[in-house]
Amino acid sequence: MKIQINGRWYEAREGEMVLDVLRREGIDVPALCAHEAVEPYGACRLCMVEITHEDWGGWKGNVTSCLYPVEDKLIVQTHTEDIIELRKTVLNLLLARCPNSPEIQKLASEYGIDTTSFVPREDADNCIMCGLCTRVCTQMGFNAISVAGRGYGREIATPLKEAPPDCVGCLACVKICPTHHIQYEDIGTTREIWGRQFELVKCKQCGKALITREFADYLIENRDIPADYFDICDDCKRSGTARDFKKLVHWEEKEEAEEEVSA
Amino acid sequence: MECEMKIDSPDKLNAWKEECLQKDAKLKKKVMVCFGPGCLAAGCREIYAKFEEILAERKLGDITLESFKKTGCHGLCEKGPLVVIEPEGIFYNRVRTSQVKDIVEKTLAKGEIIERLLYKNPKTKERVLKYHDIDFYKKQTRLALRNLGHIDPDNIEDYVMRDGYQSVAKVLTGMTPEEVIDEVKLSGIRGRGGGGFPAGRKWATCRGVESDVRYVICNGDEGDPGAFMDRSIMEGDPHSVLEGMIVASYAVGARDAYIYVREEYPLAVQHLYQAIDDAKEHGFLGENIMGTDFSLDIHISRGGGAFVCGESSALMKSVAGEVGEPRAKYIHSVVKGLWDKPTVLNNVETFANIPLIMNKGGDWFRSIGTEKSTGTKAFSLVGKVENTGLIEVPMGTTLREIIYDIGGGIKDGRKFKAVQTGGPSGGCLPEDKLDLPVDFDTLTKAGSMMGSGGMIVMDDHTCMVDVAKYFLKFLVDESCGKDVPCREGLYQLHKMVVKVTEGKASEADLQLMEHLSKYIIMGSLCGLGKSGPNPFLSTVRYFRDEYLAHIIDKKCPGGVCRDLIRFEINDKCTGCTACIAPCPVDAITGEKDKIHILDQEKCTKCGACYAVCQFDAIDII
Amino acid sequence: MTKRFLIRPALCIGCRTCELACSLTHQENKKPGRSRIYPIAVGREQWVPIACLQCDDPACVKSCLVDALRLNEELGYIELLQERCIKCRACVAACPFGCSLIDEEQEIIVKCDLCEGNPACARFCPTKALEYK
Repeated sequence: MKIQINGRWYEAREGEMVLDVLRREGIDVPALCAHEAVEPYGACRLCMVEITHEDWGGWKGNVTSCLYPVEDKLIVQTHTEDIIELRKTVLNLLLARCPNSPEIQKLASEYGIDTTSFVPREDADNCIMCGLCTRVCTQMGFNAISVAGRGYGREIATPLKEAPPDCVGCLACVKICPTHHIQYEDIGTTREIWGRQFELVKCKQCGKALITREFADYLIENRDIPADYFDICDDCKRSGTARDFKKLVHWEEKEEAEEEVSA
Repeated sequence: MECEMKIDSPDKLNAWKEECLQKDAKLKKKVMVCFGPGCLAAGCREIYAKFEEILAERKLGDITLESFKKTGCHGLCEKGPLVVIEPEGIFYNRVRTSQVKDIVEKTLAKGEIIERLLYKNPKTKERVLKYHDIDFYKKQTRLALRNLGHIDPDNIEDYVMRDGYQSVAKVLTGMTPEEVIDEVKLSGIRGRGGGGFPAGRKWATCRGVESDVRYVICNGDEGDPGAFMDRSIMEGDPHSVLEGMIVASYAVGARDAYIYVREEYPLAVQHLYQAIDDAKEHGFLGENIMGTDFSLDIHISRGGGAFVCGESSALMKSVAGEVGEPRAKYIHSVVKGLWDKPTVLNNVETFANIPLIMNKGGDWFRSIGTEKSTGTKAFSLVGKVENTGLIEVPMGTTLREIIYDIGGGIKDGRKFKAVQTGGPSGGCLPEDKLDLPVDFDTLTKAGSMMGSGGMIVMDDHTCMVDVAKYFLKFLVDESCGKDVPCREGLYQLHKMVVKVTEGKASEADLQLMEHLSKYIIMGSLCGLGKSGPNPFLSTVRYFRDEYLAHIIDKKCPGGVCRDLIRFEINDKCTGCTACIAPCPVDAITGEKDKIHILDQEKCTKCGACYAVCQFDAIDII
Repeated sequence: MTKRFLIRPALCIGCRTCELACSLTHQENKKPGRSRIYPIAVGREQWVPIACLQCDDPACVKSCLVDALRLNEELGYIELLQERCIKCRACVAACPFGCSLIDEEQEIIVKCDLCEGNPACARFCPTKALEYK
């Protein structure tokens, strides 16, 4: 099917969202709370677009493109005056919430907002409550963190604000956070995150660490991966594989090939 | 004579109804003690206990404890505790435990009326004997509230006697689901929870979605401050809700239905559980209802104390045991709702109307109300009116009729200033809008909305900016916090309104607030955010001069905002010293018979002196 | 008939042209990406080029909890969907051959994707130690 975006027609696939088409065609629409790894959420509202359709009798609506399924002959506008004002308002509010975040400052300044018109949050951290961390934790299967509380005081928290028993220290939340708000620390063989300490698996040959013991154990128990796959790091595995293959190769082939080439 | 058997045919139901009517006819008198929310707070339990105590010893011939019923909300909550004596309809107000003995000795034993317990018309000062004759009741059309005050909600026989479950018998044995939906469509009934979506169309869409499983949910969350219509129906006539849900489940094709009751309504849950048990015992729920192959179970799901869970998608998440957060509804719940199955969600009052529509027909229902808003609507009329309480009027009744004819006008002789309708999502309307008819569409055009039926009347001692502040604070507290415009936007909007009440705002702030409001409405994910700025927008629309007075003159015309008012003693002061003791900070000094002095430095503007003064000697400036 | 990526270590002369080709083919923002193929010296004049072996029962796919790794049925290789990857390194730790790699520069995880059907390394290998046929 085809949808029209800002006056041009583009291919769209059944079942995908308007934002998927926007991303594929490189049309720049900000979306802080969207990520391919997780289900769309619709929390930041930055990806809102104006939609209409020839069958709708002139009715127009504003929807979050991350959650709106494509339909044949949908007409989309991504930069109307109202949409731009909305994005400015959202960024203005986010700047009040996280005045120290470089990512928010940058995005806001792209929309012409350099200081917030509103009252900045006291002792502000960089969490914009996009929910990506909790959603990816659910997607991974751990559910170690969740949104807690309601309204302005809403925050990302562990159960009862204690060290989360289900966390495996995979750092998915850290990596997916758009403002790099979630902190962790790797010291020696220990990783600390969310108030819990994890043991890092060290390569038996060179000592390099990749993931935690807990994460590796989870993959071994639940994803049918042999335990010894995690004993050594990728660099050492490559060298090891090469050495293993050395034993299988018929090195005489080289001489035959040389003869072929010279002949 | 308890009915033991399962009612599995219309004939058996009618036979049972006859039995119940005959049994009831044997009671010469019935004493209905109102156990509605207002009367409970006013102490009706003690009154009922007193009746029981007296009747344990005093023999009154054929009046025994069987004649006494604990009923649901009778309506005129302002005058509670209420005791109504049938068949005459004698209406006793503000009954105290000390007066129970008199009621027994005089009225029950000898038929004598106790004048001072009767309702006094505030205008004519006359006492009215029967509640039917009180304006408050005369002008109402109680349909959804038909049984409230007349039955014991825990006694299924009372319900059956008043045509209870007749529609279930009629529908299951004589109509197809499609015919049921057509009748509901014909009635034109629109969702009573505030959304006003045509119920028939909703049911039809749900039925049309291919699925093995569908659900019906009753929204008993009723989060609007000041609203207690649904509470009264769930507590006082729970079977009407069950009956409506059974019809809906049959029409839509659901095997399981849920009633979502807010955490703060434990009594409603209690009565609903009793009703479900009784209904199941008699075969109105469970397998093969009315001897057909339609089976249904109704479950109760309790909320956790969140206004936002009244929103349909958040509600469904809550029922499923997840955090109650709304979702974008580009794919409607009728298509993918509870556990991703097609779900019909309707309000308590909507379901309470269904049995009437099925029994009397869609045409009858649409003959009441207006063309686009058929039927009646229940309201909780509260605030500064003479008669506060639970009412029901045909759609199209004007605000003036409700506030003055039924409500009895503004109390204490003050002036009307505004009426707030529709809960926090609604708005305030001023005096020149009093002739607007109350329906789904008219009030919305004026900047408010009918909503689920909350109606708060305000007098001239009200500051509209303060009202906006109150409702915004409520919404800020109740926002789930998922999306930025609602969570951050309403918070900042509230902060700015507070600035106005403190006299610290500028005209530029007002512009910013209006701009912010526009984009909160446009950008919010759910109804809470989308209608969040309404308290501000409607008050600024009709009472802009009050905002400007706060901003430019640094004054509060309503005499409410503490930072902008001053209490002063004027020369009407007789020196009675009544105000000296109530002052919590000892700001008033003075001798007897001499004009007292109020120390402005100490004064905290609490208003205690103002409330106590009998001589109008304290001004709020 | 699906094409196959053939590696013949006996013909590898360790010239590392494959690495260069891979790195330049996978540029991002004009920066060369990390090579997905490595000739590793295993003796005097003996090299074994290691690239993703496109396993039939891939540990990397099993280890990915967000389904960012999947088998591309059409071309028979395992692809990494970069937009879905959350860089948790489970695949890096799980692959028994070390073929899932961390590109520190670009802060992403990479693996051989057969250049979506036209592997650059095979095109540039001077001795046909790498062939796609």
